[in-house]
Amino acid sequence: MAYTITEKCNGCGACARLCPAGAITGEKKKLHAIEAVLCIECGACGRICPQAAVLDAAGAPCAMIKRSEWPKPEILLKACIACTVCVDACPVGCLAMSDLSRDKGVDAFPHLRDSKACIGCGFCSRECPADALVMKKPVPAAQTVAAESA
Amino acid sequence: MIKPYMGKILMVDLSSRTMTEEEIPDRVYEQYLSGMGLGAYILYHRMPAGADPLGPDNILGFCSGLLTGTGSLFSGRWTLVGKSPLTGCWGDANCGGTFSPAIKHSGYDAIFFTGISSGPVYLYVKNGKASLKDAADLWGRDAVETEEALKKQYGPKAAVAVIGPAGEKLSLISGVCSDKGRIAARSGLGAVMGAKRLKAVVLDGVQRIGARDPQAMKRLSQHCLKWINFPLPLPGWMLGYVGAFLRITPVVFPQDGILYNSILRKWGTGGMNQTSIEMGDSPLKNWDGTNRDLPMSKSRTINPDIIRSMEIVKYHCYSCPVGCGGICAAKGKYPHTHKPEYESVLALGGLCMNEDLDSIFYLNELLNRAGMDTISAGATAAFAVECYEKGILTREDTGGLELKWGNTEAIVELIRKMANREGIGDLLADGSKIAAQRIGKGSEACTVHAGGQEPAMHDGRCDPGFNVHYSLEPTPGRHTLGAHLYYEMFQLWKRVKGIPKPLPLFIKNSKFRVDGEKARMSAACSKFMSLANGAGMCMFGLFVGIKRVPTFDWLNAATGWNRTPEEYMTVGERIQTLKQAFNVKHGVEPKNNFISSRALGTIPQAEGANKGRSVDIEKLASGYWEQFGWDAATGKPKEETLRKLEIQ
Repeated sequence: MAYTITEKCNGCGACARLCPAGAITGEKKKLHAIEAVLCIECGACGRICPQAAVLDAAGAPCAMIKRSEWPKPEILLKACIACTVCVDACPVGCLAMSDLSRDKGVDAFPHLRDSKACIGCGFCSRECPADALVMKKPVPAAQTVAAESA
Repeated sequence: MIKPYMGKILMVDLSSRTMTEEEIPDRVYEQYLSGMGLGAYILYHRMPAGADPLGPDNILGFCSGLLTGTGSLFSGRWTLVGKSPLTGCWGDANCGGTFSPAIKHSGYDAIFFTGISSGPVYLYVKNGKASLKDAADLWGRDAVETEEALKKQYGPKAAVAVIGPAGEKLSLISGVCSDKGRIAARSGLGAVMGAKRLKAVVLDGVQRIGARDPQAMKRLSQHCLKWINFPLPLPGWMLGYVGAFLRITPVVFPQDGILYNSILRKWGTGGMNQTSIEMGDSPLKNWDGTNRDLPMSKSRTINPDIIRSMEIVKYHCYSCPVGCGGICAAKGKYPHTHKPEYESVLALGGLCMNEDLDSIFYLNELLNRAGMDTISAGATAAFAVECYEKGILTREDTGGLELKWGNTEAIVELIRKMANREGIGDLLADGSKIAAQRIGKGSEACTVHAGGQEPAMHDGRCDPGFNVHYSLEPTPGRHTLGAHLYYEMFQLWKRVKGIPKPLPLFIKNSKFRVDGEKARMSAACSKFMSLANGAGMCMFGLFVGIKRVPTFDWLNAATGWNRTPEEYMTVGERIQTLKQAFNVKHGVEPKNNFISSRALGTIPQAEGANKGRSVDIEKLASGYWEQFGWDAATGKPKEETLRKLEIQ
């Protein structure tokens, strides 16, 4: 199954620009389409679409979410086994293995190299064999400061 | 239904520059898995008999494992397959890193190349579209530079497999590199890629990889993790003494791979350097020396603690919780190199009696960049040194190099010349067997090879299982398929019915007895590793034991096949038999692949760890071949065996 685009689409092209699989095509201001064999069901098109024109693989409409509220991976280093599965799973390459040491050793471990590129798909968290990544809605900077001072 | 394989391959004809996507029937995966099994299936059926390994009819395949990307652990190996120009036999080479999942992310289980391009090209695959691109600017550049250039162009997520100058110059001991220095080195398949004028394969896909029951996959992986990474209290300086104890003791117990994995975790494969030398596992001085030639006082220069002190950062291959790899600081021309493997340290060190660790680091990087096999390069250098010491090669022949045992400077320069095919290096760049044919003068007596390929740094006079697999595998000279030690660590008897369980304590020399049990153990290793290479599993992970690293259960959870371990062993048997049938189709006489008499101990060594030991490979061969239903006298699969295994 794959995501689909309905007639509500106004051809803004936001989904096509974001799709990491290059699965979405369409002319500007015209109905876009998703090539089913290329769709990886990351859901980015559904989250970005201002028209709510995207249906998920089960046929349910996707709601637009403000990009700043898209979930991002939080890495639990104590559980991490450094197996690189999360880095490989990320379709946009926003995760990478760090060169920094851990526990006085010389292990590389994953980190969110490019937070802005993250599309919140959660593949990294789903595929981690050690359950060392959790997807969390980012906390706005103002709230973080307030929590710290409290 | 979600499947763990993509169900498609890409066939690229470099002569006509056409690319064809083919769907592979489920039946093929059920019979052969993916990886090496799928590769054997395609090559056996599609390559004409007698194909020139460096000609257009040879097929070179980059194959991902069936379990790669399914949530299993230790399943990130990819297999390079083709007809070997070094041996004329079935050829394969195996590599970890990040390339195996990239093959599947590009939408295929494997990518095969036929034909010969009119000029240098590389393949680029992105979002279901494959294209051949001009590689004239990359031709001549080393493997690391080429990968960096391609990643700069296509981004850090692109996975790159590439040949270096050795493959371009058709060195028959060249391989294919990825991850800036990992190398699928064996069988000379880099030369096949060079002959096809294919510089690189660049994969930049994001297709998902599935599993029938992802929850079960995760459950099994978390069970496996409980058995990994036990801290090892053993300090590095004691490792040599462990080897000495194993040499002296007449009674041993079956080894548990948990200990070996802790060594891998702490030091990498180099953790075995001094242990192996002391126990007689490491061949020294071109297989003519003994542990007495390199006592602990000398071998301490390659103690794993020294190597570890130069490690900057560890790295793990895809889906590996152990992480035996690392990047080390080095001196001289190259500031960094991949942590040299045990095989590289011993081939470039002990086999040439070279005790200088800095030179080993340098040569490791030089050969990785050139895309040349460190095992065969070191072994061929050792052959040349022995020829020089015996007066078969002269100073005039070597271009002024004083090729004496342990002359680091001369050995480094010799290997540099081999990588560049300069002077004497050109003569040696195709391995020791071909070099001996070129030199003549009785130099054949100084070679140690199986079917033309130099064996790895494990002496079959210490563990006769190595000699069985060096000599009798369809890929001669390979060490990653079986041994007595491997059988102990796989612990297959805990899951597979009808195979022998070692005694809790046994006389060490009983390993040398030739009997039915020995044949059953060797055959079980071959079947299991053929299965594992179809699944994309790492042998080091499998050393932890079949109940702890649940390969059969992962296969069932990933595919939904619900088979017994015995049924999976039959899959391994089928893959192994198909490879042997490939060899027979191409006119190979299996008996011609027996390892050289020096390594068999036909004239036993007079001193050292392996004193007085010899291996009767003729008798071992008959028993091994019978286990597969191959002719006991010739090693050729019988018609009834091919029918039984449904090999058409």
